Amino acid sequence: MPEVLVLGLGNPVLGDDSVGWHVATQVAPMLAALPCDVDVLAVGGLGLMERLVGYRNVVLVDAVMTGERQPGEISVFPLEALPDLTTGHLTSVHDTSLPAALRLGHKLGVSLPEQIIVVGIEAQRIYDFTETLTPRVAAAVPEAVRCVIEWVSRFLKED
Amino acid sequence: MQRITIDPITRLEGHGKIEIFLDEAGNVANTYFQIPELRGFERFCVGRPVEEMPLLTGRICGVCPEAHHMAAAKAGDALYQVDPPPTAKKLRELLYSAFYVTDHTTHFYALGGPDFVMGPDAPVAERNILGVIHKVGLEIGGKVIQARKYGHNVIEMIGGRKVHPCTSIPGGLTKGITEEQRREIEEMGRWAVEFAQFSLQLFDDLVLKNQAYLELVLGDIYLHQTYYIGMVDEQNRVNFYDGKISVVAPNGERIGKYAAHEYTDWIAERVEPWTYLKFPYLKKVGWRGFVDGMESGVYCATPLSRLNAADGMATPLAQEAYERFYETLVPGQPKVVHHRLATHWARLIELLYAAERWVELATDPEITSPNIHTVPTAKPTEGVGCVEAPRGTLTHHYWTDERGVLTRVNLIVGTTNNYAPISMSVKKAAQNFIKNGVVVTEGLLNRIEMAFRAYDPCFGCATHSLPGQMPMEVVIRDAQGQPIDVLRQYC
Repeated sequence: MPEVLVLGLGNPVLGDDSVGWHVATQVAPMLAALPCDVDVLAVGGLGLMERLVGYRNVVLVDAVMTGERQPGEISVFPLEALPDLTTGHLTSVHDTSLPAALRLGHKLGVSLPEQIIVVGIEAQRIYDFTETLTPRVAAAVPEAVRCVIEWVSRFLKED
Repeated sequence: MQRITIDPITRLEGHGKIEIFLDEAGNVANTYFQIPELRGFERFCVGRPVEEMPLLTGRICGVCPEAHHMAAAKAGDALYQVDPPPTAKKLRELLYSAFYVTDHTTHFYALGGPDFVMGPDAPVAERNILGVIHKVGLEIGGKVIQARKYGHNVIEMIGGRKVHPCTSIPGGLTKGITEEQRREIEEMGRWAVEFAQFSLQLFDDLVLKNQAYLELVLGDIYLHQTYYIGMVDEQNRVNFYDGKISVVAPNGERIGKYAAHEYTDWIAERVEPWTYLKFPYLKKVGWRGFVDGMESGVYCATPLSRLNAADGMATPLAQEAYERFYETLVPGQPKVVHHRLATHWARLIELLYAAERWVELATDPEITSPNIHTVPTAKPTEGVGCVEAPRGTLTHHYWTDERGVLTRVNLIVGTTNNYAPISMSVKKAAQNFIKNGVVVTEGLLNRIEMAFRAYDPCFGCATHSLPGQMPMEVVIRDAQGQPIDVLRQYC
């Protein structure tokens, strides 16, 4: 099993929320020859934590809604930098937040990644069902792809 | 009039919030619980082949794609007027039972249970699965993860993928299971039965043996005497996958049952100017506003509703738990429970039923038969498919042209059924903590959260855009509408 995972998150038919899927889909053929898995996923919380089991390094690609950045703006940060304000419930009212799920996993002795890097793309429209990204978010995909490749290369060198 | 706003900011800003309006005396006049809605799904589907719907509708929601997959598959069967072979129906139900085990487990341990295990007044940071583990023991966490893993394994074996199954098509399934897989599924199911029994015992120890919690459950903060609906089999026992929808009045009497395609005879939708979502109600009773009672068409569709709408459970251990439920909560009275917090108990009884049904189906002699598909031959026109999603009756209604290309789609999803009663519960919780202008801020947010969590609602949960946190903000406004205090809680 490879030690690196790239995971595009979001809903593939919900506008800019699918940007993580778009990036992962473009990244996949570029990394095909390398010891790195690439996948897409539409769940969060416990389900997401369960998908990360066994990997040493993970790059999550997801839409971000900070409301403070311009649509399409890319931010790269370690997961720990994401404020875990959802120690309660409402990230998804059916699940817990990813950081809380990871803490659960650690407590249970599950093999979880040492590093999780988030490549976030500021989204503009995530409430309308469509397979089309808004123009500025679509324009950010190539740069997000470069970011992901760069982080994967860095992780593979560390190994 | 004063206004208090509980506003989930960040990504749900402008969509999901609770507004509480006070009257001149400072008491709660009205509450408005606005659920964020993902727009345009029905329009998005038009022009696509109906065979895509079991895959596509699973994308509406990241929480119960299995429910949409099943409702879409059944609507496809109806549309092509094709009856899948018994093995196909049993395999679908087996997958669905395993899904119920994962979903109800997650809800109880990560969401609903913490309110009781940690207590309704515990800091919100502790009212989660980590708090439960800290209090009850690490092994609980391991069991929860194991239950989810086993459920997902079964979903993958039958549905082709974890979480988003892809094998149901009009007329049946694209793949069956081998004897080796069957044995594995049976073994996992037997573990799930034990886990469900353990969960009910835990509820017994933590809630039923705790007088304060029992009083909370049986108190009137979360009491609403509404109608209830739920799917039942021919013997009027709870069924998640197939059957008619039973409708029971607040006095416990069944007023009728309807088949999926008859839903428009029974369910109508009320439009309110302050929200995008519609409020379904019972057409035969009528809309009387956000009130309960025999004259109000407001109904509920939850685990509690399903138990109320049925005469019993179809498996022996769940039936025992069902009988104990009513003997404990309404001894000697008509078999209907109106206390919304009892929904958590009902959910665990359903967990046990789902696990038992999982084993029953896994040991069915037909389950490994290769006869899993009936080829549709009729010309498609219109079809309705109905299943019980964990959070309520789910109805898919499709119209197509003669090629099977969708021309119109109508969906009534689980949570939507409960929109009116959720709004009523939120109002009652607020009334309890805001009296004569005095706002008891301590506990207000927790109790409101508990009100809607009992229903296990689904708010546009398909999206996972980071940061994803949803702080609730309470803005207390004076009579002139000016904010005088702001409370905030990350929940």
